[in-house]
Amino acid sequence: MAKANQVKSTKEKIISTIFTLIVIVLFLCVLFPFVMIILNSFKAKIDIIKDPLSLSPTKGFSFQNFIDAFVGMHYLRAFGNSLFVTGFATLITITFSSMLAYYLVRYKNPFTTFMSNWIVASMIIPFQALMIPLVSIYGAKFGILNSRITLVLMHVGFSMALGTFIYQGFIKSNIPKALEEAALIDGASQYGIFFKIVFPLLGPTTATLIILNVLAFWNDYLLPTLVLSKKELLTLPLTTYTFYGTYSANYGVIMAALVLTVLPILILYFVLQRKIIDGVVSGAVK
Amino acid sequence: MIEKKNEHIKAGLMFASPGLFFFAMVVLIPFFYGFYLTLTNWNGVVNEKTFVGLSNYIITINDPEFWNSMLLTLKYVVWVVLLVNIIGFVLGYLLTNGLKGQNFFRSGFFTPNLIGGIVLGFIWEFLFSRVFVAIGKSSGFESLTSSWLSSPDTAFWALVIVTVWQLVGYMMLIYISGFTSMSRDVLEAASIDGATGLRKVKDVIFPLMMPSVVICTFLTLQRAFMVYDINLTLTNGGPFKSTVLVAMHVYDKAFTERLYGIGQAEAIFLFLVVAIISVIQVKTGRSREVEA
Amino acid sequence: MKKVLSLILVLSLVATSVFAGGENEESSQDTEVGTKISFLNSKGEIQIALEKMAEAYQAETSNEVEILSCGAGEIPYTKVTTLYNSGNAPTLSMLDPTDIYALYDTYALDLSNEKWVSEVGSNALSIDNKVYAYPFCVEGRGIIYNGDAINETLNRDVDMSSINSVEKFGALLKELRANGMEYPVFLAKEDWSLGAHQLGYLYDSYENSADELNKELRAGYDAKNDEKFNQLIDTLDLEIEYNYFHNDPLGADYDEGAMLLADGTVAFWANGSWAWPNMAEGGAQASANFGFLPFFLGNDTSYFANTKIQASPSKFVIIDGAQASQEEQEAAKEFLNWLVYSETGQEMFVNEAALISAAKNNAVPQSNPLSQDIVEKLANNNTYYLPGFAAPSDHWSVMGAAMQKYVAGVSNRDELAMSFDKYWEKQQ
Repeated sequence: MAKANQVKSTKEKIISTIFTLIVIVLFLCVLFPFVMIILNSFKAKIDIIKDPLSLSPTKGFSFQNFIDAFVGMHYLRAFGNSLFVTGFATLITITFSSMLAYYLVRYKNPFTTFMSNWIVASMIIPFQALMIPLVSIYGAKFGILNSRITLVLMHVGFSMALGTFIYQGFIKSNIPKALEEAALIDGASQYGIFFKIVFPLLGPTTATLIILNVLAFWNDYLLPTLVLSKKELLTLPLTTYTFYGTYSANYGVIMAALVLTVLPILILYFVLQRKIIDGVVSGAVK
Repeated sequence: MIEKKNEHIKAGLMFASPGLFFFAMVVLIPFFYGFYLTLTNWNGVVNEKTFVGLSNYIITINDPEFWNSMLLTLKYVVWVVLLVNIIGFVLGYLLTNGLKGQNFFRSGFFTPNLIGGIVLGFIWEFLFSRVFVAIGKSSGFESLTSSWLSSPDTAFWALVIVTVWQLVGYMMLIYISGFTSMSRDVLEAASIDGATGLRKVKDVIFPLMMPSVVICTFLTLQRAFMVYDINLTLTNGGPFKSTVLVAMHVYDKAFTERLYGIGQAEAIFLFLVVAIISVIQVKTGRSREVEA
Repeated sequence: MKKVLSLILVLSLVATSVFAGGENEESSQDTEVGTKISFLNSKGEIQIALEKMAEAYQAETSNEVEILSCGAGEIPYTKVTTLYNSGNAPTLSMLDPTDIYALYDTYALDLSNEKWVSEVGSNALSIDNKVYAYPFCVEGRGIIYNGDAINETLNRDVDMSSINSVEKFGALLKELRANGMEYPVFLAKEDWSLGAHQLGYLYDSYENSADELNKELRAGYDAKNDEKFNQLIDTLDLEIEYNYFHNDPLGADYDEGAMLLADGTVAFWANGSWAWPNMAEGGAQASANFGFLPFFLGNDTSYFANTKIQASPSKFVIIDGAQASQEEQEAAKEFLNWLVYSETGQEMFVNEAALISAAKNNAVPQSNPLSQDIVEKLANNNTYYLPGFAAPSDHWSVMGAAMQKYVAGVSNRDELAMSFDKYWEKQQ
């Protein structure tokens, strides 16, 4: 850190402490719901209703909710489906949207100017406005629903706008043309320039987009509901709703189901976190 | 000139076509087809769709409930955008300065965003209606003894709080990405020139962070305007339809009342409102961006 | 970064091979396994029971039935139309009457010649003298009471059948209050409870035909001056006055209320037979004294609404006539027959799913006091409903909200009456 050489004045120390306090307070606010869910996922429904804050419920703590959730959701199968859809959709989105962003930034022509503005605008189209047309075109007319590949490609289509938007901003501010021009002189191909020189420099943005896309796809409910109806194909969020009855919900099991659904993402996030920091630090040293 | 044009076309095909193809198939084409649907009075089932011209639009313009919903949503959006971006920016800044346990905090703040919409609303519904009430009853804290979801004003704030809770970590991440990419050289040069503290933030950091601010504001705007999942499971538009935000209004019009043409027309109005606001926002922001 | 991307790629490929999700599998038309059909279930709480029944069915007949569920917040009408629009129509769909009236001519098969028509009689859903849907179950509602709690509080045995007017109900509530049960009523806040079920008594007790009711409602009902409307709100007022959650009526939790009724903290809950599972979770014993009081309308003790309770077929099943193949339709009919005629089908329907059958040949005894009460009342002709009437699809939502305003004290009776008139005038 650049400041290592300077001695911190008292004023700076106080400010630093205040900052730390602010962060801690906000942090506790953010964590409180998680604590409540995890705490209650081990309790029986009747205890959750009687006293959600209790640390000594009448029926005690147990893993029963988790077992019920695991079985009821067909967890392994749903997990596999979520993995398939999320994984491929993310990879394809990253690839295509970075390519598109590159084109839009580097090639100035009426088409790219038009697209730059309107792709962003498209993000505003509410999903509800596309639902029925989407399903009637690709279902009734072409019959390609009920397939995970269709879901993957649809996810890609919907995520193009965001990915392109973010990559555009980054490429514009952070990738000097000089590098590419040098490579061109050296005889590199266009794809070569992009994938070997430009893309690696997009590291932090790619990492951010991976996280955003993985989250969006993993947690998505509405689109998969429309596309997948065969039980074997259901993704994790779809299976969580098995525990909602028409009138009331099975609180304990739902909380356990939530914990199980979020756990893989949490783990992935912790793993990726290191990579992001590493990537950023090594970038800064250069 | 022709050569340049060919070059552009070739590059376009190489780089832009795959992405654009899927984008068109999944967003553009259904969008225009949906537009056609607004000119009919389809009820979602029968194969015939009778052409009704622009009457659906006229009905929508004259529907006070729709515009009330729109106003409520605007109020919600303003609060959410402000709170999320201010808190996100501050957190991003605080967590890029080598604070102890920085990585731990970063992961922590982001975790709310891991939870998807519908379940998020359910959990907070549980929190507001049962946990906070229990806390209120045992501590005698007056404003918590009845559920916040039982009365229109507090239910509105509940919606804002939950949305902010979910989004703040996401925006913080984008701000961090922006902060860390800021060239150290520029920062050091500014320090050498005598810019310190608040001045540094205002004149150096903030302008350089403009791209991130633009992106974050835009994303928050978009998410907030189209919020549906949280609205559904947290308040379900209640109490007595006082917190029906616009996306929910559109959905109900189409799927509960089965008036798809009108619902789609409302969606188009929503789209126009948000589009105009966003384009203005992005244009003003982009014009202040500084290229590396 | 490359490592991360390749990690994702590897994981996705692993997912494909290990957890293969039947991507290109054709719906198994293996002749050894039998025909595969699907059943759309709109009753979330019996999802697991239905799956067990499907398993049992497959064990007996080697035909596979996939039970599709509607997720929380998913409106069955939307789910079914989306499935049809995407070419994935379920072979059987279990829906509310209002949905069936809207969809039958596009989707449903004519079932007039099915054997079970004779078992269900007028319970079947017919339009223009053709049977289009099988009555899946009968549900009843009224004011659930906890007899044991009442008797204990008042230190005497109250004969619940003697309570046959709103006056007597009010007197009973007053007595309970005087004896320590200050707030003997649990009033649910849900819009479907207030808007569909409680307000619904207005329609159910109508004495002419459904067509005439539809006409009357749309011709300017003038609820403010309507005797029955006012009687209904009088009873609602009693509920509000003695509501356990009087401090925050819209914050009342459904499950907590069920618990309170189960353990005797409250004595009354205006709800239906579907409430038993929640009460059982709250500790209610099947041997205990629970039953239904009528939802009182006024003080005329000879008025049927004050002595009978509402009970009617609540869900109906249609068979897909638009997209299913001949084989699938036959298999679907077989499944319905199994539900009606087979021992396993009948038994599981009553015991696993805890439902009351609309077919008179199902003699399996009910296992919970609420269903028992309804079955008994059905047998003694102590129930009523208005056949053929279905409120529009948004009725429960719009009127439910209006009722909630009233319950919360935000609107008064005149305003409620006006919302009622306005709503019906808008309908076509």
